[in-house]
Amino acid sequence: MEITETTEGGKAVAILDGRLDTATAALTETRLLAMLDKGGIIADLSHVRYVSSAGLRVLLKAAKHAKATGASFAVVGLQPPVREVFEISGFDKIIRAFASRTEAASA
Amino acid sequence: MAAPAFHLRLPATIESVSELLDALEAYAEVAGISPGVAARLGLVAEEVAANVAMHAKGATFFELRVTPGQQALDLVIQDDGPEYDPLSRAAPDTEAVLEERDVGGLGVHLVKKLTRDATYRREAGMNRLLCSLDLTV
Repeated sequence: MEITETTEGGKAVAILDGRLDTATAALTETRLLAMLDKGGIIADLSHVRYVSSAGLRVLLKAAKHAKATGASFAVVGLQPPVREVFEISGFDKIIRAFASRTEAASA
Repeated sequence: MAAPAFHLRLPATIESVSELLDALEAYAEVAGISPGVAARLGLVAEEVAANVAMHAKGATFFELRVTPGQQALDLVIQDDGPEYDPLSRAAPDTEAVLEERDVGGLGVHLVKKLTRDATYRREAGMNRLLCSLDLTV
Protein backbone atom coordinates (compact mmCIF):
# COMPACT_ATOMS: atom_id res chain seq x y z
CA MET A 1 0.00 0.00 0.00
CA GLU A 2 1.40 3.37 -0.98
CA ILE A 3 -0.13 6.62 0.13
CA THR A 4 0.55 9.85 -1.73
CA GLU A 5 -0.61 13.20 -0.44
CA THR A 6 -1.89 15.92 -2.72
CA THR A 7 -4.61 18.56 -2.73
CA GLU A 8 -7.83 19.18 -4.59
CA GLY A 9 -9.68 22.45 -4.36
CA GLY A 10 -7.82 23.34 -1.19
CA LYS A 11 -8.62 20.01 0.49
CA ALA A 12 -5.99 17.44 1.44
CA VAL A 13 -6.20 14.24 -0.58
CA ALA A 14 -4.72 10.88 0.37
CA ILE A 15 -4.25 8.73 -2.75
CA LEU A 16 -4.18 5.09 -1.69
CA ASP A 17 -2.64 2.54 -4.04
CA GLY A 18 -2.70 -1.18 -3.27
CA ARG A 19 -4.57 -3.60 -1.02
CA LEU A 20 -6.13 -2.33 2.18
CA ASP A 21 -5.98 -5.49 4.28
CA THR A 22 -4.63 -6.95 7.53
CA ALA A 23 -1.04 -6.29 6.46
CA THR A 24 -1.52 -2.66 5.44
CA ALA A 25 -4.24 -1.54 7.85
CA ALA A 26 -1.99 -0.20 10.61
CA LEU A 27 0.17 2.00 8.41
CA THR A 28 -2.86 3.30 6.56
CA GLU A 29 -4.59 4.16 9.80
CA THR A 30 -1.53 6.01 11.09
CA ARG A 31 -1.27 8.09 7.92
CA LEU A 32 -4.95 8.94 7.66
CA LEU A 33 -5.30 9.92 11.30
CA ALA A 34 -2.16 12.07 11.09
CA MET A 35 -3.56 13.85 8.05
CA LEU A 36 -6.93 14.30 9.75
CA ASP A 37 -5.28 16.01 12.68
CA LYS A 38 -4.41 18.80 10.27
CA GLY A 39 -7.86 19.08 8.74
CA GLY A 40 -10.38 17.43 6.46
CA ILE A 41 -9.27 14.86 3.91
CA ILE A 42 -10.49 13.06 0.83
CA ALA A 43 -9.36 9.44 0.60
CA ASP A 44 -8.98 8.51 -3.06
CA LEU A 45 -9.53 4.76 -3.42
CA SER A 46 -9.60 4.53 -7.20
CA HIS A 47 -6.38 2.48 -7.14
CA VAL A 48 -7.59 0.15 -4.41
CA ARG A 49 -9.14 -3.08 -5.66
CA TYR A 50 -9.39 -4.89 -2.37
CA VAL A 51 -10.57 -3.82 1.06
CA SER A 52 -11.04 -6.44 3.75
CA SER A 53 -12.67 -6.02 7.16
CA ALA A 54 -9.31 -4.80 8.48
CA GLY A 55 -9.44 -2.05 5.87
CA LEU A 56 -13.05 -1.23 6.65
CA ARG A 57 -12.11 -0.76 10.30
CA VAL A 58 -9.49 1.78 9.27
CA LEU A 59 -12.02 3.74 7.22
CA LEU A 60 -14.49 3.63 10.09
CA LYS A 61 -11.88 4.87 12.55
CA ALA A 62 -10.94 7.68 10.17
CA ALA A 63 -14.58 8.70 9.80
CA LYS A 64 -15.12 8.61 13.56
CA HIS A 65 -11.95 10.59 14.23
CA ALA A 66 -12.98 13.18 11.66
CA LYS A 67 -16.43 13.50 13.21
CA ALA A 68 -14.99 13.88 16.68
CA THR A 69 -12.57 16.61 15.65
CA GLY A 70 -14.94 18.40 13.27
CA ALA A 71 -12.85 17.60 10.19
CA SER A 72 -14.43 16.36 6.98
CA PHE A 73 -13.83 12.88 5.62
CA ALA A 74 -14.94 11.42 2.32
CA VAL A 75 -13.89 8.61 0.01
CA VAL A 76 -13.82 8.72 -3.78
CA GLY A 77 -13.37 6.24 -6.58
CA LEU A 78 -14.80 3.11 -4.95
CA GLN A 79 -14.11 0.19 -7.27
CA PRO A 80 -16.88 -2.45 -7.63
CA PRO A 81 -15.49 -5.04 -5.17
CA VAL A 82 -14.80 -2.25 -2.68
CA ARG A 83 -18.23 -0.68 -3.12
CA GLU A 84 -19.73 -4.09 -2.50
CA VAL A 85 -18.15 -4.55 0.92
CA PHE A 86 -18.81 -0.90 1.72
CA GLU A 87 -22.51 -1.36 1.13
CA ILE A 88 -22.77 -4.77 2.79
CA SER A 89 -21.27 -3.19 5.89
CA GLY A 90 -23.68 -0.25 5.78
CA PHE A 91 -20.81 2.18 5.35
CA ASP A 92 -22.62 3.96 2.54
CA LYS A 93 -24.90 5.32 5.24
CA ILE A 94 -22.18 6.73 7.41
CA ILE A 95 -19.24 7.63 5.15
CA ARG A 96 -19.69 10.02 2.24
CA ALA A 97 -18.57 8.58 -1.09
CA PHE A 98 -18.18 10.53 -4.32
CA ALA A 99 -17.27 9.57 -7.86
CA SER A 100 -14.40 12.03 -8.13
CA ARG A 101 -12.11 14.27 -6.13
CA THR A 102 -13.66 17.40 -7.68
CA GLU A 103 -17.11 16.38 -6.52
CA ALA A 104 -15.80 15.61 -3.05
CA ALA A 105 -13.88 18.88 -2.83
CA SER A 106 -16.91 20.98 -3.69
CA ALA A 107 -19.33 19.10 -1.45
CA MET B 1 -11.54 -29.32 -18.15
CA ALA B 2 -12.43 -28.76 -14.51
CA ALA B 3 -10.74 -25.90 -12.70
CA PRO B 4 -7.95 -27.02 -10.39
CA ALA B 5 -8.39 -27.24 -6.62
CA PHE B 6 -6.36 -25.23 -4.12
CA HIS B 7 -4.81 -26.44 -0.90
CA LEU B 8 -2.45 -24.60 1.41
CA ARG B 9 -1.48 -25.05 5.01
CA LEU B 10 0.52 -22.32 6.74
CA PRO B 11 1.80 -21.47 10.22
CA ALA B 12 -0.75 -19.44 12.16
CA THR B 13 1.06 -16.11 11.88
CA ILE B 14 0.14 -12.70 10.52
CA GLU B 15 2.83 -13.03 7.85
CA SER B 16 1.11 -16.17 6.60
CA VAL B 17 -2.05 -14.19 5.92
CA SER B 18 -0.28 -12.19 3.20
CA GLU B 19 1.28 -15.36 1.86
CA LEU B 20 -2.16 -16.96 1.69
CA LEU B 21 -3.64 -13.98 -0.14
CA ASP B 22 -0.80 -13.94 -2.68
CA ALA B 23 -1.21 -17.67 -3.29
CA LEU B 24 -4.96 -17.23 -3.75
CA GLU B 25 -4.42 -14.41 -6.27
CA ALA B 26 -2.15 -16.66 -8.30
CA TYR B 27 -4.63 -19.52 -8.01
CA ALA B 28 -7.54 -17.35 -9.16
CA GLU B 29 -5.64 -16.49 -12.35
CA VAL B 30 -4.73 -20.07 -13.10
CA ALA B 31 -8.25 -21.28 -12.36
CA GLY B 32 -9.84 -18.53 -14.45
CA ILE B 33 -11.84 -17.17 -11.53
CA SER B 34 -13.37 -13.74 -12.15
CA PRO B 35 -11.90 -10.74 -10.29
CA GLY B 36 -15.09 -10.28 -8.27
CA VAL B 37 -15.15 -13.88 -7.04
CA ALA B 38 -11.39 -13.81 -6.47
CA ALA B 39 -11.78 -10.74 -4.25
CA ARG B 40 -14.49 -12.47 -2.21
CA LEU B 41 -12.35 -15.57 -1.90
CA GLY B 42 -9.52 -13.42 -0.55
CA LEU B 43 -11.79 -11.64 1.89
CA VAL B 44 -13.17 -14.85 3.37
CA ALA B 45 -9.76 -16.47 3.62
CA GLU B 46 -8.20 -13.35 5.13
CA GLU B 47 -10.89 -12.94 7.73
CA VAL B 48 -10.63 -16.47 9.06
CA ALA B 49 -6.84 -16.71 8.82
CA ALA B 50 -6.26 -13.32 10.44
CA ASN B 51 -8.60 -14.22 13.30
CA VAL B 52 -6.66 -17.43 13.93
CA ALA B 53 -3.30 -15.66 13.75
CA MET B 54 -4.35 -12.87 16.10
CA HIS B 55 -6.71 -14.55 18.57
CA ALA B 56 -6.38 -18.34 18.57
CA LYS B 57 -4.11 -19.05 21.53
CA GLY B 58 -1.86 -21.99 20.80
CA ALA B 59 -2.99 -22.47 17.18
CA THR B 60 -0.06 -23.65 15.09
CA PHE B 61 -1.57 -23.63 11.61
CA PHE B 62 -4.47 -22.74 9.40
CA GLU B 63 -5.34 -24.62 6.26
CA LEU B 64 -7.52 -23.75 3.31
CA ARG B 65 -8.96 -26.08 0.70
CA VAL B 66 -10.85 -24.74 -2.31
CA THR B 67 -12.73 -27.21 -4.46
CA PRO B 68 -14.38 -25.83 -7.60
CA GLY B 69 -17.85 -27.16 -8.39
CA GLN B 70 -20.14 -26.38 -11.29
CA GLN B 71 -21.66 -23.26 -9.82
CA ALA B 72 -19.57 -22.53 -6.78
CA LEU B 73 -16.27 -22.88 -5.01
CA ASP B 74 -16.44 -25.02 -1.89
CA LEU B 75 -14.17 -23.81 0.89
CA VAL B 76 -12.96 -25.58 3.99
CA ILE B 77 -10.80 -23.56 6.38
CA GLN B 78 -9.47 -25.22 9.49
CA ASP B 79 -7.14 -24.47 12.38
CA ASP B 80 -5.94 -26.26 15.48
CA GLY B 81 -6.71 -23.46 17.91
CA PRO B 82 -9.03 -23.64 20.93
CA GLU B 83 -12.68 -24.28 20.16
CA TYR B 84 -14.11 -21.16 18.56
CA ASP B 85 -17.05 -20.64 16.25
CA PRO B 86 -16.43 -17.45 14.26
CA LEU B 87 -20.03 -17.47 13.04
CA SER B 88 -21.32 -17.00 16.56
CA ARG B 89 -20.07 -13.41 16.60
CA ALA B 90 -22.94 -10.95 16.76
CA ALA B 91 -23.68 -9.02 13.59
CA PRO B 92 -22.74 -5.36 13.52
CA ASP B 93 -25.59 -2.85 13.56
CA THR B 94 -25.41 -1.64 9.96
CA GLU B 95 -28.15 0.91 10.64
CA ALA B 96 -26.38 2.66 13.49
CA VAL B 97 -25.12 6.21 13.17
CA LEU B 98 -21.40 6.80 12.82
CA GLU B 99 -20.72 7.47 16.49
CA GLU B 100 -22.53 4.29 17.53
CA ARG B 101 -20.88 1.99 14.99
CA ASP B 102 -18.61 -0.58 16.55
CA VAL B 103 -15.43 -1.70 14.79
CA GLY B 104 -16.05 -5.34 15.68
CA GLY B 105 -17.92 -8.08 13.85
CA LEU B 106 -17.36 -6.72 10.35
CA GLY B 107 -15.28 -9.61 9.09
CA VAL B 108 -17.71 -12.32 10.07
CA HIS B 109 -20.55 -10.20 8.68
CA LEU B 110 -18.78 -10.15 5.31
CA VAL B 111 -18.20 -13.91 5.42
CA LYS B 112 -21.89 -14.54 6.10
CA LYS B 113 -23.05 -12.12 3.43
CA LEU B 114 -20.61 -13.11 0.70
CA THR B 115 -20.87 -16.89 1.06
CA ARG B 116 -23.57 -19.52 1.12
CA ASP B 117 -24.15 -22.26 3.65
CA ALA B 118 -21.47 -21.08 6.05
CA THR B 119 -21.19 -23.79 8.70
CA TYR B 120 -18.91 -24.30 11.66
CA ARG B 121 -17.86 -27.69 13.01
CA ARG B 122 -15.48 -28.78 15.71
CA GLU B 123 -13.92 -32.04 14.52
CA ALA B 124 -10.77 -33.96 15.42
CA GLY B 125 -9.54 -31.16 17.66
CA MET B 126 -9.91 -28.56 14.91
CA ASN B 127 -12.15 -25.64 14.12
CA ARG B 128 -13.59 -26.08 10.64
CA LEU B 129 -15.45 -23.48 8.66
CA LEU B 130 -17.22 -24.66 5.52
CA CYS B 131 -18.86 -22.35 3.00
CA SER B 132 -19.47 -21.87 -0.70
CA LEU B 133 -18.79 -18.97 -3.03
CA ASP B 134 -21.02 -18.64 -6.06
CA LEU B 135 -19.08 -18.54 -9.30
CA THR B 136 -21.95 -17.10 -11.29
CA VAL B 137 -22.16 -13.63 -9.81
